[in-house]
Amino acid sequence: MINTLLSLNEATRTVNSGSNKVTLLNNINLDVKEGEFISLMGPSGSGKSTLLNCIGMLDSFTGGGYTFLGEPVHAMKDKNKSKLYKEYIGFVFQAYHLIDELNVYENIETPLLYKNVKSSERKAMVADMLDRFNIVGKKDLFPIQLSGGQQQLVGIARALIGKPKLILADEPTGNLNSKQSEEIMNLFSELNKEGVTIIQATHSESNASYGSRIINLLDGNIVSE
Amino acid sequence: MIKNYIKIALRNLYRHKGFTFLNIIGLAIGMTAGFLVLLYVNFELSYDTMHSKSDSIYRVVADIDTPSEKIEAGMAAWPIGPNINKEFPEILNFTRVNTEDLTFVRDGKKFLEEDVIAVDSAFFEIFDFKFIKGNKKESLKAPNSLVISETIATKYFGTDNPIGQNIILENFDNPAIVTGVMEAIPENSQIQADILISMITYTAAPSERDEQWGNYGPSIYILTANGTNAKNLEAKFPDFLEKKTGDEMRESKMFVTLFLEPFEDVYLRSDRSGYVSGDMNNVYIFSIIGVFILLIASINFINLTTARSAERAKEVGIRKVVGAEKNQLAFQFIGESIIICLVAFVVAVGLTVLGLPYFNELAGKTVSSGVFSEPINILYLFIIAIIIGSIAGIYPATVLSSFKPVSVLKGSFSTGTKGVFLRKSLVVLQFTISISLIIGTIVIYNQMQFMRNQELGFNKEHILLLPTEAGSGQEALRSSIAKISSVKGTSLTSSVPGSGNPAAYSEIENKQGDLQVANLDLYFVNEDYIEQLGMTMAAGRAFSRDFPSDSSKAMIINEKAVSLLGYANAQDAIGADYQQWGSSGEIIGVVKDFNFRSLQEEISPITMRLDPTGTNIITVKIDGNNVSQTLASIEEVWQTMKPNDPFQYYFLDEVFNNQYEAEEQFGDLFLNFALLAILISCLGLLGLAAYSTMQRKREIGIRKIVGASVGSIINLLSKEFIKLVGIAFVISTPIAWILMHNWLEDFAYKINIEWWMFIVAGLGSIIIALITVSFQAMKAATSNPVESLKAE
Repeated sequence: MINTLLSLNEATRTVNSGSNKVTLLNNINLDVKEGEFISLMGPSGSGKSTLLNCIGMLDSFTGGGYTFLGEPVHAMKDKNKSKLYKEYIGFVFQAYHLIDELNVYENIETPLLYKNVKSSERKAMVADMLDRFNIVGKKDLFPIQLSGGQQQLVGIARALIGKPKLILADEPTGNLNSKQSEEIMNLFSELNKEGVTIIQATHSESNASYGSRIINLLDGNIVSE
Repeated sequence: MIKNYIKIALRNLYRHKGFTFLNIIGLAIGMTAGFLVLLYVNFELSYDTMHSKSDSIYRVVADIDTPSEKIEAGMAAWPIGPNINKEFPEILNFTRVNTEDLTFVRDGKKFLEEDVIAVDSAFFEIFDFKFIKGNKKESLKAPNSLVISETIATKYFGTDNPIGQNIILENFDNPAIVTGVMEAIPENSQIQADILISMITYTAAPSERDEQWGNYGPSIYILTANGTNAKNLEAKFPDFLEKKTGDEMRESKMFVTLFLEPFEDVYLRSDRSGYVSGDMNNVYIFSIIGVFILLIASINFINLTTARSAERAKEVGIRKVVGAEKNQLAFQFIGESIIICLVAFVVAVGLTVLGLPYFNELAGKTVSSGVFSEPINILYLFIIAIIIGSIAGIYPATVLSSFKPVSVLKGSFSTGTKGVFLRKSLVVLQFTISISLIIGTIVIYNQMQFMRNQELGFNKEHILLLPTEAGSGQEALRSSIAKISSVKGTSLTSSVPGSGNPAAYSEIENKQGDLQVANLDLYFVNEDYIEQLGMTMAAGRAFSRDFPSDSSKAMIINEKAVSLLGYANAQDAIGADYQQWGSSGEIIGVVKDFNFRSLQEEISPITMRLDPTGTNIITVKIDGNNVSQTLASIEEVWQTMKPNDPFQYYFLDEVFNNQYEAEEQFGDLFLNFALLAILISCLGLLGLAAYSTMQRKREIGIRKIVGASVGSIINLLSKEFIKLVGIAFVISTPIAWILMHNWLEDFAYKINIEWWMFIVAGLGSIIIALITVSFQAMKAATSNPVESLKAE
């Protein structure tokens, strides 16, 4: 029996732009099961990023229901939401979003600091991660000294270190060349095989093909699955 | 976690070296100023607190009501000390303190010692001045006993033990004996002396001092029993005075009320005269200035940090996404600002070490011998640094930590107009304070200038003062000096303007024909004095050798005395009878009012009489050219005629201007703090301008490409800052006017606050700000636009 990780029920997101109400996401219904690898596709402005942000609880739906691991997120306070995503969700960004002032080791370590993991344990976890991604030799380098692919590796390592159930990746290969893209996508597949649920937003058909399920968005609506 | 914060803070500081430098230097200068103010205020407040019993010590002072005036004296009559001690059991002890001049004679050579006080035997029981050698309790009980400071001991006895040594005192029948050596009296004591002589030296013989209830001279200090209520004790004084001196008061028409001033309040809070006195207002003023400068420095910090918040926004977003909570981020940013403040603290300690000697000189006192001499002060500054770090960090931390990760990570984030208004308001506040201080400085300096150049009613230039003993030797000396060719004239006097003078119980016939009692200032002079000092007569005539009776029966008064006596004009006072200190006769002339005290005070009534026994100063009018040669000639004459006496001289203008020493120190301190304030404000402005220029690099590039000139770009970038300084100027004008108007109220003779003072301060600040800002703008305007656009 496969558990449902999250489900969206008529989830809607609107913003006010001047005097107009603009609908970014319109009555989205979506169930995500544990272990799925979903690709969100669609042109710019179709609502991929907004959907990812809302699922990741960085942003909120303005209407409808959102349940994550059986908990009603739409009824939660910000504080509880942040507890929830801290525990279960990792983020990967197109622009990597590493902290420029921290080196590779420290960047990967940061989420653990906010989870109050003990120092010795942190060391071991970060070391594992460096090892696994073959970047032990780069642990003292700063983001600016790394290639884009390497930076994204660090970004993924950082997303994984908290042992999340779900990884949300917004155009993770958008700034990378094809060879680097392939490496990153292979890594995602591998992770998915280990049981991590992944939702990625992407423009690329080939990237989408790594996933188990493709959802097409247009103007805030799911048009096909 | 904390390690991580510190690491990222340090890396951030290092990466933005320019801003870090501005931030730290601004804060450090502000803290240094704050530290110096703290030391100064601490020192002022520490006066007279070194005595273990200082809570129980009081100064006895007197108000004297005469038919003509009310005198608020800082001293009391001689007999009051011993008599209240006898009368009231709650008064455990008393000491009178009276300044004396002593001439020490060693091996035939004479040394004038001026830092001498005569004190009663309980002096060391009341005060805790440190005794080094001798018997503290017994040291001042016998006549002719001296307690001397270490410096004096070394001066006269070298390494010999001074205890028991004799010192010959000129004009004394018996030699004095050194009975004790004390440590130098600390600078923060209202009582100052190098030499103490036992009071009984003067009172042993059937003594005038102990009998005359109308003779005011000494400061009187009493030690009261624990739990004594000063108000209750004061309330018993009227009956006591009535019993002792009631008839005398009625007869002289001088009615005395005694008050007790808490010893520790005398220095700062008493308006009555004293040996050394400070001013609580100055303590307040400098405290406020210190706080203001710290405020200006903190504002820089807040502005520079929030202005740069966009740069930190991405980090905030990322940290939130990986799980940071708002308060954790706020803690991080406050921590960073505390780190900056602590670095600034270290720099400030260094700057204070360097600046302290200069500051001591400015303040005219050793407010602190060294920063590390009292570690508690360092601790205070440390705490202040942390407080500033926390307070100045709160606002930027709140702003930064409340960024929404979705919006900052999208990449299109800009801080927009958020915080801009606050930033501008704070800049206006900084410059309001700075410009007010500058206006204040201009007013103070003009007032000082005014006092120095004011028409005083006498001529103080090129007049040399030679203290000598009155008598026949003095006359011989005077006439020899008068023969020197570059000497234009000489005269004799007891007093000169600015040096203080006796005041005498006087009775003078007033308009109604009664003898009016008043306590009047008195100069003993000779026939040449009035002319020599360039004073003019309003009526009657000056003293003259043509009228032999002048020497014992003539008095000259000033115009103020004329109005005190009720006469409509000076002429009417001529011929009025007077009685004063055993002399009687009539008024022969009225001298025009002259300022014989500081211009802070109104001119008061004064009397002048001829008395060759009271004139212990020779005044010498000399040629303005060749002053040093003339001085040499005078010294030569002196050495021939008074080989054993030290040659001492003063210039009248210096003596007079010395009265303004405190005001000048105040002005200098004020000026320096004002300069610091504007410096720190400009550092902040420099930072903001640099930042805003950096932010607008792209805009500047585009403007240049479409044809903007360098001038128009400088104008674009400078305009908004100059506008802020302009607003600050408008706000500071009325504030400064009110404050300085208040300050000037303390002066009887004062300048008007002129419009140009505001213009100078305002224009000055705008020019300084313009230079600061346009330096940055210039750099941006002349850079190649392709560079800035390529970077996008």
